[in-house]
Amino acid sequence: MMIKYIDWKVTIPRIVAAVPIAILVFIPVFSTSRDTLSIIILSGVWVIAAMGFAMILRTGQFSMGQAAFMAIGGYASAILTVKMGWSFWPSFFMAGVISGIIALIIGSVVLRVGNIYFSIITLSFGEIVRILAQNLEGITHGARGLIPPSPEPIVLGSFEINFDASVVPYYYFMILLVAITSLVFWQINRSRLGGTFFSLAANQILAEHQGIYLMKYRVIAFTVAGIFTGFAGAFYAHFLEIITPYMLGLWESIQIMIMSIVGGVSSLVAGPLVGAVLLKVLSVYLSRLPVYGIHALLFGGAVVLVLVFLPKGTGLIDLWKKFWRKVFNEPEWYEIPSIDE
Amino acid sequence: MPPAAIWMDGLIQSCIYMTMAFGMVLVFSILGILNWAHGQFYMFGGIVVYYAVAAAGIPFPISLLISAVAVGVLGMLVEKLIIERVNVPIYGPLYVGVATISLIFFFEGAASMLFGMQDKGLSMVYPGVLDLGVFSVSYQKIGVVIFTVIVMVAMYIVLNLTKIGLAIRAVSQEPVAANLYGISVKRISVIVMGIGCAMAAMAGSIMAPIYPVNPFMGRIPMIMSLLAIVIGGIGSLTGAIVGGLILGFLNSVIAYKISYFSEVVLFILVILILLVRPQGLFGASLK
Amino acid sequence: MKKWNTMITVLASLVVISGMFCMAHAQGTAAPDTPVIVKVGFPGPLSGPASPWGQIGIDAYNSWVELFNKQGGFKVNGKTHHFEIILVDDKNTPEGGAEAAKKLIYEDKVKFIAGHWSWNFPSISKVANRAKVIFLTRTGNEAVPGGIYDPKTMPYTVFACPSHEQYINDVFALVEAFPKYKKIGIYDSTQGKGIGWDYVHQELDKAGIRWHHEWYPVGTVAFAPYITRFAEEGCDILYGGGDITAAMLMTRQRWEMGYKNWKVGTAGGILDPNIIIEVAGNQAAQGFIGQYYTIWNFKKNKVNPKYVKMCQDVMQIVSKKQGEPFTYTGWIGWGPNHLLILAQAMEKAGTIDDPDKIMEAIRGGTFDTTIGKFTMSGEKTYGSPVVFGSPGALSRIQGKKEVLFTEHPMKPLP
Repeated sequence: MMIKYIDWKVTIPRIVAAVPIAILVFIPVFSTSRDTLSIIILSGVWVIAAMGFAMILRTGQFSMGQAAFMAIGGYASAILTVKMGWSFWPSFFMAGVISGIIALIIGSVVLRVGNIYFSIITLSFGEIVRILAQNLEGITHGARGLIPPSPEPIVLGSFEINFDASVVPYYYFMILLVAITSLVFWQINRSRLGGTFFSLAANQILAEHQGIYLMKYRVIAFTVAGIFTGFAGAFYAHFLEIITPYMLGLWESIQIMIMSIVGGVSSLVAGPLVGAVLLKVLSVYLSRLPVYGIHALLFGGAVVLVLVFLPKGTGLIDLWKKFWRKVFNEPEWYEIPSIDE
Repeated sequence: MPPAAIWMDGLIQSCIYMTMAFGMVLVFSILGILNWAHGQFYMFGGIVVYYAVAAAGIPFPISLLISAVAVGVLGMLVEKLIIERVNVPIYGPLYVGVATISLIFFFEGAASMLFGMQDKGLSMVYPGVLDLGVFSVSYQKIGVVIFTVIVMVAMYIVLNLTKIGLAIRAVSQEPVAANLYGISVKRISVIVMGIGCAMAAMAGSIMAPIYPVNPFMGRIPMIMSLLAIVIGGIGSLTGAIVGGLILGFLNSVIAYKISYFSEVVLFILVILILLVRPQGLFGASLK
Repeated sequence: MKKWNTMITVLASLVVISGMFCMAHAQGTAAPDTPVIVKVGFPGPLSGPASPWGQIGIDAYNSWVELFNKQGGFKVNGKTHHFEIILVDDKNTPEGGAEAAKKLIYEDKVKFIAGHWSWNFPSISKVANRAKVIFLTRTGNEAVPGGIYDPKTMPYTVFACPSHEQYINDVFALVEAFPKYKKIGIYDSTQGKGIGWDYVHQELDKAGIRWHHEWYPVGTVAFAPYITRFAEEGCDILYGGGDITAAMLMTRQRWEMGYKNWKVGTAGGILDPNIIIEVAGNQAAQGFIGQYYTIWNFKKNKVNPKYVKMCQDVMQIVSKKQGEPFTYTGWIGWGPNHLLILAQAMEKAGTIDDPDKIMEAIRGGTFDTTIGKFTMSGEKTYGSPVVFGSPGALSRIQGKKEVLFTEHPMKPLP
């Protein structure tokens, strides 16, 4: 097979983008520092959650209870391993399934109302999950939480992958999880389904008149997001080896929302990825500053500044596209209409 | 039938939620956005009044006005510098939502750096308890009720009997037409944001003698007033008042009846109301 | 080209000079008379709503450690060792606790962690045990039967001053002080629900004490419904699980609701009487009860006079430093206490590096600490290898001051 034509305008940005990804994959070769790797692993968790949020946003709805699905996933996996004695891999898989089923049930009831009502319903749902997790001590151990074990070692011939000894296995597990999620979301975005999602957000009435059944597509987006957010939550619980009601509440949902918006929702995969990684790393380093309270101050300030100074309606990822358009001297092909007449 | 003390407690809760929710709805009806940092303006109100009374020795009623003006100006700045720039057509509410949520972190961080994280209180303002035999109530609580009534009456007068009120109502009904008639929507937005934040600040400052003042005091009243405007109907001023009243009393009565599970009941109630009647009790359906 | 040459020369000379400094420094530490520094990590809530607890003790710990080092530190194999404490913010969340522990262990290379905050116990314990770092914690809520604590997977966790035992002792002290009480009302936020309280309830039932427990959601400020429920149950003493904000509001609101003769207190201790008076009102705050560690006033519990003197000195140093009288004494109960256990265990084990030997010395050893002399038991109840009790000492607010109110002597271990 011969490559007839290479579009350098597409290929060069891709190659440049591939460099940091390749570096990320090979980081454990250079440094196995638990601290550095932990930061990247934890940001991976938020990347998946933020992608889920972006997926729901594609259909024009903003969910303010995404952390609740992380909590459901985390608790599902923790209860299965701790209380029922399952091993890690099946319970990790079940965490996604259970979270997806709950998302399906909740979504098909709640998604009938849209807009801000949906946000407030999901917010309330998240709070209900937190309160239940706190008060059903028999199942969840209340505020003290459950301690799920780390995954069993995988034996490949004479080679053993031991999750207890170092964080490197977790690191590759996380990269795999993010890669699978990105792939699925990217494919959905490219497919007819992604186009339908976008049409719902762009013009709901027109989409309905084209014969698109709103509820069906909203529920699909919500469920897919729920499944992957559940996986992220289960990973989070097993990595930290603890899950409590207060780890994944309203403020974490808000964090997910901030991450994907700052990253940019014009792209389903890259935007949340950039936003979550940057903000998580920023937040970790800010929280090491010795002055108490300055962490929240600078974090909030940084997000506000990004929102105010970026072109309206875009996130950090759009800067990337803009940069390459500048490089290749392409005309601006899309302008978001301004608020002033 | 719960005892009188429960109803009194509910009334006080209602007063905070009403004042907070009213400001939020006012902002929503003009700017079309929810100000998530409303609770932090409430917190700033409490802090300003604490310093005015405890450090500067200014009499409490005057401190109330000072905090309302100071926080109102802060609100106007936020509108002018942030919300106006972020509010774009398609995802506008979302972007403003994220910006104001980030402001929560910013304001709480600033307050904990400047103010410290310890509880502070103003219990020395109008101390004393009025004993009515069946139940007793402190003078501060009576003050809260009277003050809330005054604020509500003042808002009624401003909105219905003044020129600026007419302009606000016009903009909330038909922004484009109001603009054509020579009302500057931008200026009205700034003014309304100022009034809304000033109301939050007044709620915070009238509460300072009753509840402790700290940088995190705004979180729960914010969520509660959000639920109140959802119950009453987003965008309806009457709804905000009725929603605040319902929520305040419900909160106390349910907590009295079933103790700590009251939180869940409130959230489930809100979900049910939204599913059955998304526009709330008084609201018109959202555009 | 020339520019590059100069730059390379400058860089090379910098490397050489810094290398020489390092060597000089290394030689300096190797000198026999300089003490060896033993680093101990202190994760605590330094930011967020719980930060008052984390921050109030900082100055006291630092001054105490300074004083301890100045008085000669401790000797292992005839060599002087000094403590250095490293404070890290754990944000009062399990996630923050795990991060703080990882930072302490892998970046600061500490071999010991001392911490008190319940919410973080499981995550810190897990990280510390995996790295074979000895973790001394004050909480014991999880250590009771069916709790999270597992002696097999957490061999390096030491419980000292468990909070639920302390609570039980406090209630005993209250009952001794008010023998005509009707019922004790226990209040705590739903965050505190769990096995620890079940244990408290059991112990109180065993002792024949009448009690009623009310939970409230986290962040509640209007307590009228709960106070009414207490009144209907016939309670006349309210003693809380440690939430100081809730305790202040309880004090104030029961006063306003007319239950003026109720006694109100909290196991968290009185951080600062002025705050309580400011929030609750002067009249309502009178008689407010809290945990108290003024070991110099203790009558029923015996404390080594050397430590009493040290703690009193620290109180004065901190008062001078902060420019106002420092009255909080809760810090005596755990920070210095944990450090003394560690120091004495290391002296006995003759090593500062081998955690197994040090744990051996801790198990079954006798330790002289700031809150009394303890013999650690290997077989005490609830499967925990190392647990010891604490004195139930209470103070109350009189005027604008906090004064010792009553004591319940520490129970000797079985």
